[in-house]
Order: sequence, then C-alpha cells, then structure tokens
Amino acid sequence: MSEDDDRATPPAEPNYDDEFDAIVVGAGPAGSASALTMADAGLDVIMIERGAYPGAKNVFGGVLYTPTIRELTDIDDAPLERYVGEKRFGMLSPEDETAVSVKPNQWHQEPHNDSYTVLRGDFDEWFAEQAVEAGATLITETTVTDLIREDDGQIVGVDTDRPEGELRAPVVVLAEGGNSLVAEGADLKDPSPREDVAVAVKEVIEFPGDGNEIEDRFRLTEDSGVSYHYFGEGAVGDAFGGAFMYTNDDTVSIGLAYRIEDAVTSQPKPEQTLNEFKSHPAVAPLVRGGRTVEYSAKTIPEGGADAMPDLVHDGAVLVGDTAGLVLNNGVHLEGTNMAVESGYHAGNAIITAMANDRTDANALLEYPRNLEESFVVQNLERYEWLMETAVEDKDLLFRDLPRAIADASEEYFSIDRDPKAEHADEAKDRILQTIGGWSGAAKLAWRYRKVMTS
Amino acid sequence: MSTTQNSVDNASLEDRLYTVKYEDPGESHLDVKVTGICEERCRTDDCVDVCPADVWREGEDGVPHIAYENCLECSSCRFACPHNNVVWTYPENGSGVTYSFG
Repeated sequence: MSEDDDRATPPAEPNYDDEFDAIVVGAGPAGSASALTMADAGLDVIMIERGAYPGAKNVFGGVLYTPTIRELTDIDDAPLERYVGEKRFGMLSPEDETAVSVKPNQWHQEPHNDSYTVLRGDFDEWFAEQAVEAGATLITETTVTDLIREDDGQIVGVDTDRPEGELRAPVVVLAEGGNSLVAEGADLKDPSPREDVAVAVKEVIEFPGDGNEIEDRFRLTEDSGVSYHYFGEGAVGDAFGGAFMYTNDDTVSIGLAYRIEDAVTSQPKPEQTLNEFKSHPAVAPLVRGGRTVEYSAKTIPEGGADAMPDLVHDGAVLVGDTAGLVLNNGVHLEGTNMAVESGYHAGNAIITAMANDRTDANALLEYPRNLEESFVVQNLERYEWLMETAVEDKDLLFRDLPRAIADASEEYFSIDRDPKAEHADEAKDRILQTIGGWSGAAKLAWRYRKVMTS
Repeated sequence: MSTTQNSVDNASLEDRLYTVKYEDPGESHLDVKVTGICEERCRTDDCVDVCPADVWREGEDGVPHIAYENCLECSSCRFACPHNNVVWTYPENGSGVTYSFG
C-alpha cells in the first residue's frame, strides 16, 4: 500500500485506533493461528470475533490433532479433554454392529499421537489468548459486514456492525468458518453447492454418578479417551455421511453429519436421525441414562480439493473452513488441524508480503504454494477420487454391505450342530451375493485399490 | 428395533434448544428474498426438511414461517434452498446462539 511506504520507519505516534497491519475475521483455530504467527513476527494484528468469546459460535465433533499447534505455542496449558487411546470404526446395519477397534499401546505414551478431544468453547478461547499474549488485539461481539476496497479492487479493510466500525489494514484474513458470508458477499468465493456441504448435529451428554462414569462406560484409564466413528444405515439412514462419539473429561459428544443433498430428499429431520442413532442397540447402552446438556448444529464444507476457492486475492486470503479445508473420508475426519495449518502458512506469507510492502494477490502466493506442499492439500487431493467413488457406490457401501457383513458374521459364528464349514460357506455366499460374486469382488477391490496402495 | 433395555430418553427438540444460551437479536436474521418463489415455484420445502432446529416451518400461504429465535446458526437452510432464496445474515453484535461445549 502506498501510504505504508514508510513502514520501515513507523511514525512516532502511530494511530492504532483504526489501522493495523492485518485484520483477521474470525477467532477460530484458523484465525488465531494466523494472528499468532503474524503477532510473533511483530505485525500489528486485530482479530474480530462475532461471538461473545472465541469459540462461542463454533461447533466441533471432535478430535484435535496438535502437531502444528505445538509448533506455534506450548500446549501444556491447553484445555484438552482426553487423549485418544482407542479408535473404533463401527459399521451399523439397522440393528447390528460390526466393528474394528484400534488401540495401539503407543497412544498411551506422550505425545499421545497428537490426538485429543476438545470442546471448542474452551479451546478456541485459549488459542486466541495465545495470539493476544503474542501481541494481537482481539475484539468480540463484533460482526464484519463487508470488505472495503480501493478503486483498483485492492481490499484495504473491513466494515463492522459497530458505530464508525471501519478498520483498515493492507491485508485481511478471512477465517469466518464454513458460513463465510463476508467472503461470498465480496465475491471472493461462490456459495458451496449443497452436494458439497454436510449438515451436522451434536449433543453433549453428561451422566449422573460417582464421577467415574465416562471411565466406566468406555473402559478408560485416567485421561485416555475414545474416538468412535460409525457408518451405515444405523448411523445416518440412507444418507451419505456418518456418526460419531467422543469422550470428554466429564461428558460425551455424540452426533452425526450427512450431505444436505440427502437431508432434503430421503431423511427424517436431523434431530430425528440423531434420535435413531442414539437408540441403535449398539449405541444406546453407551449413552443410556445420560442428560443432554447442549444441542448444537453446523454445516461442514466437504467439497474436497476440487471445491477449494481461490485462496489469495488483492489484499485478502481465505483460510480454514472458509477455504473449504476439510477432509472427511470416513476414516480420517480432519478440519481443525487443516485450519491451523492454513492460518500458519497464510500468516507467514503475509509477513513476507508486508516485508516487501506489497499485499496484492501475487505478493501473497507463498500461501497457496506452501499449502499445496503441506499435508493439507496433499491429503485433500489424495482422497478426492475416494469421495467421488464412494458417492457412486453409496447404496452398496452404506446399506447393502453393512447388512451383508452383519448377516454373514452372524452366520459364521452361529452355534448349532452343523459343521463349521457349512456356516463358513453360507457366510461367504451372502457377502459374494451382495457384491456380485467373485468378479464383483475383484471389481470392487480394483476400484478401491488406492486406499492402501498410493 | 431397539429393545426397552436399550432405549434412550431422547430429549424433545424444545428441551434440546433450551440447552443453548440465546440472546434475541431483536429482529430476524433470516428471511426469503422473493416470497413468490416459495409460493409459486417451491414444491420441495427443502429449508423445512433440513433445519435441525425447526426454524423453517411450512406456512399455510406457501411461504415458510420463520421461527428465527430457534436458530442454531448452522445455515443449512441457505445451502439447501434450491432457488437460492434464503437471506441469511449473522445476528448482530454477537447475539443469537452461544455455545459452551461446541
């Protein structure tokens, strides 16, 4: 920016009331990571949060993966609930469960595979505080309503719903989350088509008892916890999506997410789908007797790599959910860690751009370049085909196969006076029938070969 | 389906909505752009079907009744509307829903 030509020798009495080096819209993980990165480098950053505190408007499943956060700050004091000591993948037919449980002993050792359950109301507030301690300014209960542009299109600040609420800076970080009204209103991204967006509902449940309820129900030791993922009809009916359960310190987070495209066509309403999941014979005993202490809902951008908008503009960058950085392939459910990583790379790119006194889109290209080299874009691209293929095979993968496997398992392990060989043959036949015989099995294996091999 | 032994006392939606803190923004942050689209062109009620909080309710005149004070701010309605007819703004000054455990 031309008025910042003397940046190397700042004025003796800078006006910090309405002019900053960078404005961050949204104090979620992406916004706070970018603010922390920039504040650490000495930039004058302001974060604008519309909630009463960071995290007040956020909803999360969820497990937080912490490698990038450790890079940015000390997480010893972070409000982490439990480390993940067990992952369970449950395939649910309407009445049955067939599950795989993963419990490496290594996960009980520090740093616990960098995987922790968190509650965002607590975590986001703490993470934003790290940015504030590094020198960033945080204002809450303030909503950004628009971006301010120069005649040449360069974004130079934001307007807010506060009286005389204009704030100016050479660069704006849009970390609004998935509901990115400012970025869309300024034509920096198109609204996502509904087939790329999932609706999620979640409850936090607490249990009466002696204080060891969570440990007893989930067979936990000390501060270990679980991450349970469920798919199939018993999880989300005939929709494309899945359900989850995570243990916190004293509560359980339980919920589900599925495509809006399916929610509007063939599903009962989301809260009814959640009721049915909670009443599934494999799930009900885990939450029985619990009291719902919070019900929440959100939308998740799940369009993958193909749906990512342009990340840099003249005077602005898009990070986190606003940039569509969510990975959900049924096995890996990630987003918050990708938000932090994107905020970190965006922050560093802005530091470089500001040092060169330029914040046009070209000057900010270090951000998308570094993000493409990072796990964020590499993982999104790796699983792009999987999502597309799984949508095509939805009925087989989420309805027919879970039913057949439950049916075959029941047959395989059935106890009567028949020889085991007969049960094994029958079990095998039931699965083969569902997937179209040996040739169908071979085709299916070929379609999904890249899950393990590339 | 599930046996009595496994049944869960699911809270009603009303009970669930009581679990979140809510500050009334004073006016609706939700609206439809053109009511004629709801009346004449929309045969799907997608906004009604998707809403996890019963904000969008079928209206007798074909225009949805909007109970904005139930809104959990997920915005699924604006993505769901096939006619791009939902006006969704953030409730002002941090009003609307506040989550403790989100």
